[in-house]
Amino acid sequence: MLKQIANWFRRGKMENGLDRELRYHVERRTNDLEKSGLPAEEARRRALAEVGGISQVQEEVRDVWLSRWLRDFSYDLRFSARSFFRTPAFCVTAVLSLVLGIGATTAIYSLVDQVLLHALPVRQPERLVLINWDGDTVANGFGSWDLMSYPICRDLDKQKDFFDGVLCRAFAPVNLSTNGDSRPATAEIVSGNYFAVLGVAPALGRVIEQDDDGVANANPVAVLSYDFWQMQFGGATDVVGRKVLVNSHPLMIIGVAAPTFKGVDVGEVPAIWVPASMSSQVIPGFENLLDRRTRWMQILGRLNYGMTLEQAQAGLQPWFKAMLQEDMHLASFPVVTPERRQAFLNSTLELTAAPQGHSTLRRRLKQPLWVLLAVTAVLLGLACLNVSGLFLARGSARDREIATRLALGASPWRIGRQLLADSLLIAFVGGLLGIAVAPIAVRALVAFIPRGAAPMALHAGVDSRLLLFAFVVSVTAGLLSGLAPSWQAGRRSVAQSLRERGGTGFGGVRLRKIIVTAQIALTLTLVVGAALFLRSLDALMAKGPGFSTTSLVSFGVDSLRNGYSPADGKLLMRRIDEAIRASSITQSSAIARFAFLTGGSWNNPMTIFADKRITTDREVNMDSVTPGFFQTMGVQILAGRNFDERDMHETVGKLGPTIVNEAFVKRYLGGRNPIGLRVASGGGPDAKPEAEIVGVMSDFSYRGLREESEQAFFPFFAGEGTGGTFYVKVRGTPESFVTSLRAIVHDVDPRLAITDLRTVNEQLDRSLNTEHLLATLSSSFGTLALLLSLVGLYGVMSFVVTQRTREIGIRLALGATRWSAIWLVLRDASAMIVTGIGIGLLFVLALGRLVQAQLYDVKSFDPAAIAVTVVILCSAGLAAALIPAHRASGVSPTDALRVE
Amino acid sequence: MKRFPIPQGTLDMLILQIVSLEPAHGYGIAQRLEQISKAIVQVNQGSLYPALHRLEQKGWLKAEWKESETGREAKFYALTAAGRKQLAAEKHDWARLAGAVQLIFGLGDKS
Repeated sequence: MLKQIANWFRRGKMENGLDRELRYHVERRTNDLEKSGLPAEEARRRALAEVGGISQVQEEVRDVWLSRWLRDFSYDLRFSARSFFRTPAFCVTAVLSLVLGIGATTAIYSLVDQVLLHALPVRQPERLVLINWDGDTVANGFGSWDLMSYPICRDLDKQKDFFDGVLCRAFAPVNLSTNGDSRPATAEIVSGNYFAVLGVAPALGRVIEQDDDGVANANPVAVLSYDFWQMQFGGATDVVGRKVLVNSHPLMIIGVAAPTFKGVDVGEVPAIWVPASMSSQVIPGFENLLDRRTRWMQILGRLNYGMTLEQAQAGLQPWFKAMLQEDMHLASFPVVTPERRQAFLNSTLELTAAPQGHSTLRRRLKQPLWVLLAVTAVLLGLACLNVSGLFLARGSARDREIATRLALGASPWRIGRQLLADSLLIAFVGGLLGIAVAPIAVRALVAFIPRGAAPMALHAGVDSRLLLFAFVVSVTAGLLSGLAPSWQAGRRSVAQSLRERGGTGFGGVRLRKIIVTAQIALTLTLVVGAALFLRSLDALMAKGPGFSTTSLVSFGVDSLRNGYSPADGKLLMRRIDEAIRASSITQSSAIARFAFLTGGSWNNPMTIFADKRITTDREVNMDSVTPGFFQTMGVQILAGRNFDERDMHETVGKLGPTIVNEAFVKRYLGGRNPIGLRVASGGGPDAKPEAEIVGVMSDFSYRGLREESEQAFFPFFAGEGTGGTFYVKVRGTPESFVTSLRAIVHDVDPRLAITDLRTVNEQLDRSLNTEHLLATLSSSFGTLALLLSLVGLYGVMSFVVTQRTREIGIRLALGATRWSAIWLVLRDASAMIVTGIGIGLLFVLALGRLVQAQLYDVKSFDPAAIAVTVVILCSAGLAAALIPAHRASGVSPTDALRVE
Repeated sequence: MKRFPIPQGTLDMLILQIVSLEPAHGYGIAQRLEQISKAIVQVNQGSLYPALHRLEQKGWLKAEWKESETGREAKFYALTAAGRKQLAAEKHDWARLAGAVQLIFGLGDKS
C-alpha cells in the first residue's frame, strides 16, 4: 500500500520507462519478423498484435503500480479539486463549516485527552492503581480526595503478593528560595519508593530513594523538576549538591527528574519532590507523619505481573480486615460511638485503575469536558449536515453533467464515488485548517480552567495523538457529509435524469428537507443546553456569595512557611493587621484563617450541648476571624454579639467564643435561640464543652457559590493565628491598591512572601470558572449552530421557490392571493421547523441527565429555557423562510409561464 | 499441435526461472519462454509486462537499464535474493504437486 502511494508520486518517471520498454520490445520483434521475410508494414502490425495493444498493456501495468481503486480515486480527487477551483464561494463555505466543526472538536478533545485520558509518562502506567479507603476512616485529614495515612501506605507496600510496590504522595504549597528571593511554589511530598515504583529516572544526579525516607528529619534532600531546573538554574549541571530553602529550611538538591515527568497530577505540577521524612519542614507544624489516623496522602500501587485489579482487590480484604481490628485496639484509636466503630470495621479497600495518576482537576472537569465534547460533536454533525446540504444544492446545479456521465455509461456507484471524493477533499482541507486553529482555541480554553496555586501540565501543542484524532474526525466528517449526496446520485436513473430538463431537477429536495430538519433538531439541543448553562450561571451570580465583594481585596500570608516561630508568627500577623488598619486607603480589614470561595475549608463534626447532646450529622465548616470580619465582608450579626479584642487572646485547649450561622441554628436547633449553648469540635462521645455560642451570623458561601453549609466561626488570635488571608475593604476601586498593599506588607517584613493578592471579585469569577466555560462555549456553539441551520433552511426554501415558480405562477393566474403564495412556502418551512423541534425535544429529554450535575437551580428539562429556545428557533426560522416566500409572492404569472 | 494456455500462476514462476539463469530484458524473456516451452505453452506477450512489474514491485526482481546485444538501451531484469528464495519455494511446491498428481494417476492404473 505504502509502495503504491509512493509510486503515485513518481508515476511520470515510471510511465516514461514503461513507454521505452514497450517500444523496445515492439521494435525488436518487428526487426526479427522483417528478417524472417515479412514486409516492414506487415511485421510491425504483427508485432503489435502479438502484444495485444500497447495502451492495453500500459493500463494493465498501471494497475500493478497502483491498485485500480487507488488510481480511480486519485483521478476523482483531481477532478474534485479542479471543479472546486471553478466554484470558490461554494468551496470556501463548505470548508469553513468543517473548519469550525473539526477545529472545535479537536480543541476540546485536546483537553479531554490531556486531562482525562493521557497516561503518565512512566513505566507501564496501565499497571498503576489508586488505593482508596471505602468507608469511615475515623481520621482527621487535610487535602483533596482519596486520602489515607502514611503508615497505612507503608503497610500496603509490604503486600508483595499483589503489588510491585506501593507509593504515597501529597501536594503542598511552599515558599521556595533559591537565591535569597522567596516565592510561592509547589512541592510534592513522596514516599521513598515513589520514583522506583513509577519507574522514573533522573535527568541529572539521582532521584529520591528508600533510604532518604527513613528517620524523620534526617535526610534534608530534594529532587527538582526538569522545568524548574531549567527556569531557575538555567539547566546548570553543578546544581547537584547546592541548597534550596523550603519554608526557610535548607534542603540539598540531589538530582533532577526526567524531562517528561511532571508528577502524578496533571493539574498540580510540582517544582520539587521532597521525601515524606521531611514533611514537617514542608508543612510547618505537621507532626503526624507516623499517625495512622491522619489522612492526607494519595496511595498508588503497581500491580504485580499477571495480577488483575479484581484479584488484588479481593485478595487484600482479609489483610485489611485484620488491620482494622488491630488498629481499633491501639491505645491511640480515638473514642467513637459504636455506630462509627461499626462503620470503621465495615470499611473495605477499593482499587481503581490509575494509568493517568491522581488528579483533583480531572475529578472536577470530567463531566464538564465530556459535556463539551458532546456539544462539539453535535456542532460537527451540524457542520457535516451543512456541507451535505451544500453538496446537494450543487448536485442539482450539476444535474446536466451527472446526467451526461450516466448516459455515457458511468455507473451510479461511480458517480457516487466522485461525490464522495468531493466531500473527502473538502473535509481534508477543513481538517488541516482545523488542526491549525485548534492550538489557538486550546490556549483560550486553558485560560478558563480553574487553577490553584500550582501550574498545570496542560499545553496547546499538537501531538501525534491529536493529529490522529483530527484525521479520523476529518475522514468521518467527509464520509458523513458525502453520504447523502452520494446516495442521492446512486438512486437516479438515466431515464429520470433525461426526463428532467437541465437545472430544474427535483432530485434532492426531500433529502435536503430532511437534512434541514435534522439541523434544526440538533440546533434546538445546543441552544437549550446553552440556555440552561446561562440560567445556571445567572442564578449563581444573582444569588451571590452572601457577602459584599465591592472594593474588597485579599491576600494570603503564612508566617511559618517564612521561617517564623509560632509565637513570632502571631506577632507578625498582628503587626500587618495594625499596619493595614492604620493605612489611609483602608475602610476596614480582617483576617480569616482559611480563605473563601477557593473550594476548600476547615471542617469537622461538632457536638452541641443543649438540653441533650446533639452530634452534627455532617461536617461543619469552620474558620477563625478577627472582629473586623463582619463589617469588612458585610456579613450581619443577627443575634448576640460580634467578637471583640478581649476574645483575641489565646485560650489554651479552647476554641473561644463561637459565632454560628443561620443554617446551623436551623438544622440542629430548629431555630431555637442558640446564644449561651456550649459546643465542642468533634463528634465523639468523649467531646467536652470547649466553647460557647455568643452570636448568630447571616449565611454566606464559604467553599463556593453552590454550597449551602452550616458554619461555626471562632476568634482568630485565640487559635493558632500564625497565617491566614487578609480581607481589606479599600476606599475606591480595589485594583489601584494592589501595589499599596504590597508596600504595607513589605514595610513590616521585606522578605515575606504573600500569595494570591487579588480582588475578591476576581476570586468569585475564578470560583465560577467551570460555569463560565460551559456557558460561554455552549452559547457560542449554539449561536453558530443556529446560523448554520438558518442558512440551510434559507437555501432549501429558495430552491423550492425556484422550482415551483411555474406552479405558483399558475395558482396566481387562477386567482390565488399573494398571501396564499407566501403561505405555501411558510407551510413547508414550518413543517421542517416543527418536526425538527419535536425531535430536538426528544434529544433534550435523553441528554438531560448528562448535564444535570452542572446546573444550578434549574432542571435539565426547564420549560422556560425550552420555551425561549423554541420561540427563537421559530421566529428566526420563519424569518429565514420569509425571504424566499416574499419572492414567491412576487412571481408574475405571465413570466412564470414564459419560463417554460 | 494444440497449444495450451499457460496455467494460472505459473507465468511468474517461469519468469523467475528464466531470469535466474542470467539477467534479461522483456523481449529476451519472451523469446526464451517461446523456446523453452517449445511452442507447447502459449504465452500472451501482452501479459508478460504486467507480470514483470508485479514481480519487481514484490521485490523478487530488480531492474536496470543497460545496453543490449543490439547496442540499444533496454530494461534488464535480474533475480534478487528474495526472488531466489521464492523461486526455490515455488519449484519445491510444484514438485510436490506434480508428484502427488503422478501418485494419484499411478493408483488409478493399478486398480
